[in-house]
Amino acid sequence: MIYDHDVLVIGAGLAGMRAALEAARNGADVAVVSKVHPLRSHSGAAEGGINAALDPGDSWEIHAYDTIKGSDYLADQDAVEIMCREAPGDIIEMEHMGVTFFRNAEGKLGTRAFGGASKARTYFVADITGQALLNALYDTLLKAGVKVYEEWFATAIYAPDGCARGVVAIDMLAGELNMLRSRAVIVAAGGSGRVYEPSTNALICTGDGHALAYRIGAPLMDMEMVQYHPTTLKGTGFLMTEGARGEGAYLLNAEGERFMKAYAPNMMELASRDVVSRAETNEIAAGRGADGCVFLDMRHLGPEVIHKKLPQIHEIALNFLGLDMLDHPIPVRPGMHYIMGGIKTDAEGATPIPGLYAAGECACVSVHGGNRLGANSLLDTLVFGRRSGAHAANYVKTAAPTAAGEDFLGSEQRRVRELLDRPYAGQTYARLRLELATKMDERVGVYRDEAGLNDALATIRDLERRYQTLSVQDKGRVYNQALTFALEVGYMLDCAEATVVSALERTESRGAHARTDFSQRDDANWLKHVLITRRPSEEPAISYQPVTITQWPPKERTY
Amino acid sequence: MNVKFVIGRYATDREVAGELGPPFPLPYADKPRKTYQTFDLDLPDEAMVLDGLIHIREYEDESLCVRCSCRCAICGSCAMWINGHAKLACTTKLRDVVQDGSVQIEAPPSVGAVRDLVWDQKQFWDKMRSVKPWLEGKQPVPRNEEYRVPNEAMDELVQEISCISCGACLLDCESFAVNPDFVGPHALARAYRYAADPRDAITDQRLKEYSEPNGVWDCTHCFECVQVCPKGVAPLDQILKIRRMAVDAGYTHNAGTRHADAFAESVRESGRLNELTLMPKSVGLFNLVGQLQSLPSAFNLLRAGKLPPIIHHKVPNWQRIKNIFKRIGGRFAR
Amino acid sequence: MKVAFWPGCVSKGACPELYVSTRKVCEALGVELRELYEASCTGAGVLSEQNPALADSLNGMTLAMAEREGADLMTICSTCQGVLSAHNHHFQKDPQRLAKANEVLAESGFHYGGTTKVKHLLWILVEDVGLDAIRPLIQRRLTGLKVAPFYGCYILRPEEYLGIKERPERKTYLEQIISMLGAEPVEYLGKSKCCGFPMVTMNRDASLTMGGNHMLEAKSKGADLLVTPCPLCHLNLDAQQPDAARVMKTKIDVPIFHLPQLLGLAFGFSPEELRLDHHVVSTSKALEKVELKV
Repeated sequence: MIYDHDVLVIGAGLAGMRAALEAARNGADVAVVSKVHPLRSHSGAAEGGINAALDPGDSWEIHAYDTIKGSDYLADQDAVEIMCREAPGDIIEMEHMGVTFFRNAEGKLGTRAFGGASKARTYFVADITGQALLNALYDTLLKAGVKVYEEWFATAIYAPDGCARGVVAIDMLAGELNMLRSRAVIVAAGGSGRVYEPSTNALICTGDGHALAYRIGAPLMDMEMVQYHPTTLKGTGFLMTEGARGEGAYLLNAEGERFMKAYAPNMMELASRDVVSRAETNEIAAGRGADGCVFLDMRHLGPEVIHKKLPQIHEIALNFLGLDMLDHPIPVRPGMHYIMGGIKTDAEGATPIPGLYAAGECACVSVHGGNRLGANSLLDTLVFGRRSGAHAANYVKTAAPTAAGEDFLGSEQRRVRELLDRPYAGQTYARLRLELATKMDERVGVYRDEAGLNDALATIRDLERRYQTLSVQDKGRVYNQALTFALEVGYMLDCAEATVVSALERTESRGAHARTDFSQRDDANWLKHVLITRRPSEEPAISYQPVTITQWPPKERTY
Repeated sequence: MNVKFVIGRYATDREVAGELGPPFPLPYADKPRKTYQTFDLDLPDEAMVLDGLIHIREYEDESLCVRCSCRCAICGSCAMWINGHAKLACTTKLRDVVQDGSVQIEAPPSVGAVRDLVWDQKQFWDKMRSVKPWLEGKQPVPRNEEYRVPNEAMDELVQEISCISCGACLLDCESFAVNPDFVGPHALARAYRYAADPRDAITDQRLKEYSEPNGVWDCTHCFECVQVCPKGVAPLDQILKIRRMAVDAGYTHNAGTRHADAFAESVRESGRLNELTLMPKSVGLFNLVGQLQSLPSAFNLLRAGKLPPIIHHKVPNWQRIKNIFKRIGGRFAR
Repeated sequence: MKVAFWPGCVSKGACPELYVSTRKVCEALGVELRELYEASCTGAGVLSEQNPALADSLNGMTLAMAEREGADLMTICSTCQGVLSAHNHHFQKDPQRLAKANEVLAESGFHYGGTTKVKHLLWILVEDVGLDAIRPLIQRRLTGLKVAPFYGCYILRPEEYLGIKERPERKTYLEQIISMLGAEPVEYLGKSKCCGFPMVTMNRDASLTMGGNHMLEAKSKGADLLVTPCPLCHLNLDAQQPDAARVMKTKIDVPIFHLPQLLGLAFGFSPEELRLDHHVVSTSKALEKVELKV
């Protein structure tokens, strides 16, 4: 079947829903395609809070400076200015949508401290801020009556004339491929955490958006910038929010010392995430870790703070490690968490491909540069979700209508059919993914070097070859997850390739990209973004784009 | 540990999987084409049920369908029946549920299954939508700044905001199981979240709507939802709060309010429940159809010699009890 | 042992057979009952719902009366058990709430110090008297009888208020007693579910179908009868059974016993002494299985 809309959004997390809402408010017939129900989106896992310079003692310039410094000067400062200037408006708007933010004594929005922020500017709801925002946005989307194709898995973006004109997706409940035609497509499909193991990310974070855009020739930018979050739970890798450190938690090594004083004497535990992750990795490598971990100590915070402000992580530590943070320090270690890199866009969310937009974690504007500050991601999704929705709605007013598509739908159907019909040849989606993800964590993690990166690349090439014979053991029609998981492995391979090739390119250390063979930051040569663009039947093309500097010339970055 | 996973599977073809929707045949009879398949697994002692399910679909049978994502009770995807009670598979420890070396997992019969453990959520979301779960902000909306509300008001809502819409409460709701039109605990918890939000402008209208048939008064007050909720939302508590708010707002023309009034009156005036008058008063003295419906039971009681005495005895010192009513005040004090 | 005894309203009203059989069985067990004649109805959750402060005071007074007796407070109704436990729990957790209730009670000359333990007869049988002490009293083993336990919601949930977190075995006491008496407990999902009583006035058909489903499920697993520790459940399952059968358009015919009646039969009391001839749904078929008649 073929369905027509003006604007299509892939992904129903914060960025996707915000974009859809804005497009609808601007008069577009917009529809959202999501492989899970919107409330299952990974935005709901964000815990700590969302940044904005609302407080009169703060200013958007300070917020911008903190963000740019946090990015290790790779962020494009004009985009950062926009984000920080517009942040207060977006927070207020979410409050008007009903978010139950924490209030201070005057009944106004109240803050907590967060990493890399020189002033407390993180607004929050207990330790479930992402969930609160996601629900408020979903509720508002319901009120606006926006159409959501729930549990539809996108397999390709339709771009017959070099413009984005639709999406082909599997309706999982019916077991059918359909063509959704439009005149603009906003990709908001989230991150690609499952490319790594372990990761804080949910199972659905498989880089679908990155790959779908990449495959129609959209450049991916800064893909080497992968953030390892310093406090992920030992074993499972679940996120222990930075908000804990914001409330005053300590990081201790096996000798019980607050080791951050050797790495970031001013900000201590609230230095930027890459600094803290590297610090932890160094401590563990020097033999001052315990079983590959350090400790997050919250005992001194007391029951009032823990039960009121950090109930969710309290529950998780208890459930999965049997440890009560009221009485025990919790073993944590760096784990892959976020990708700063993504589909290259401008500050309106537009990619170089006409009609193709991107917002949220899968986009790279870039506002996070080499390292994202905590509580800036939620902000990013709202600001650029809104802007891309507005711009896309405007764009379609004059864009040429989309016709045909039956052939493309047919070719997608054949592609899927071929995959389903393949006989078993030893490759399963689970095994391929695990091999990829473990190698990525080993070689493309907190510290990298050329030999390791080449090893990772060799593995990726090998897996890509084996992927051609991957077969799916579920031949059913309705809700075939094995099929979608197999397609996801393809997306993850594309993301991994982009990350490793970009990491090999950047011969310096900046932000989260720490190369032991090029351990200094090299502003003279590397104040630019690495872009990677797929070319059919050739190696991907590498290009560069200089960082936009407005007010803040790069300086040495210490915490 | 060695565990047998006994999993309720449905045929892959949607038509064969059976028409969706309760009321299901009694009592808890299996849907026609469901079969149980057993998998023998060896899992670590600390494993969760979900670990087993993922292991099965990755290494033993790729056709097993399970909704799951975050693995730690945040996304709400993996609610299902484990040994006949709704739970999140990701935070249910195997050692807590294994009985005689096995655990039974399936989509519950009160909702239809799309396939295997993937249950049909259409009515779940429809019910939520029906309570208008969004903020109709009080006008005028403050310009360029937030509504001023005390933190206590926001704190009051944190319990409901914790809801991850997993559906466990609906899956185990007895009232929904026999009456598919009951809007259900999840929707009503959401409803309270907005009814109690001081920024909402349509509270009164909400209370009126939630008091209609299949709303708050169709809850059977059995605490299943409180017990099964993985996030401590306690939907029943929210339902009861709505009931209180609705009665205070004057939405009292329903059997539930009459029942409470009749109960209170009986206890106030005698210290004890007078079953003889409770039924007729709850049903509504002018509700002839209702009265007629109750008659056969009254007659049966009479025949069995169980009809309560016509002269209802007051407890000794019953005035003391009446004084307590008067001292507390409120609706029941009159 | 002695207990402060709160019989509830229904055992003095529409379920006199419960009161009668309780008295007989407790006497046989040597449990002295100090009945709280002046205590008020617990409110059955209905009053708690609409006016928590009122229910706090009424139940606080009952708890205070038991405290004066210096004994545990024994209930014979799952609903009384649930409501009293809930309020007792709130008083333990929130001293301010207890203080407010005591302010009201002071006017009647009462004060609740917070020490009363509320225990249903079911728990007292297993935890205080002990199954080993009960066994010698059995004169008539109920061999061949298949008995389905029906707990009633409020003696099982919320677990926090009922001490079930500390003593999860409380969820199995009915089965333990049934086995001890020589009968066979029937396993079925409905045993812990709601009988529908709380909503019988709001949605009669749904309420009766709930109870009907559980009875039919038990019957399909071979049960000869249901035994319940809650007279409100008893009303919805027994007194309303003919109506439930009409609503569901199917025969049910499952007799419902009160817990003390089952015990009393095993202790050698006659069905008439236990008023098993005064049920709406005839108990004769079940009784025949143990060679008794009504």
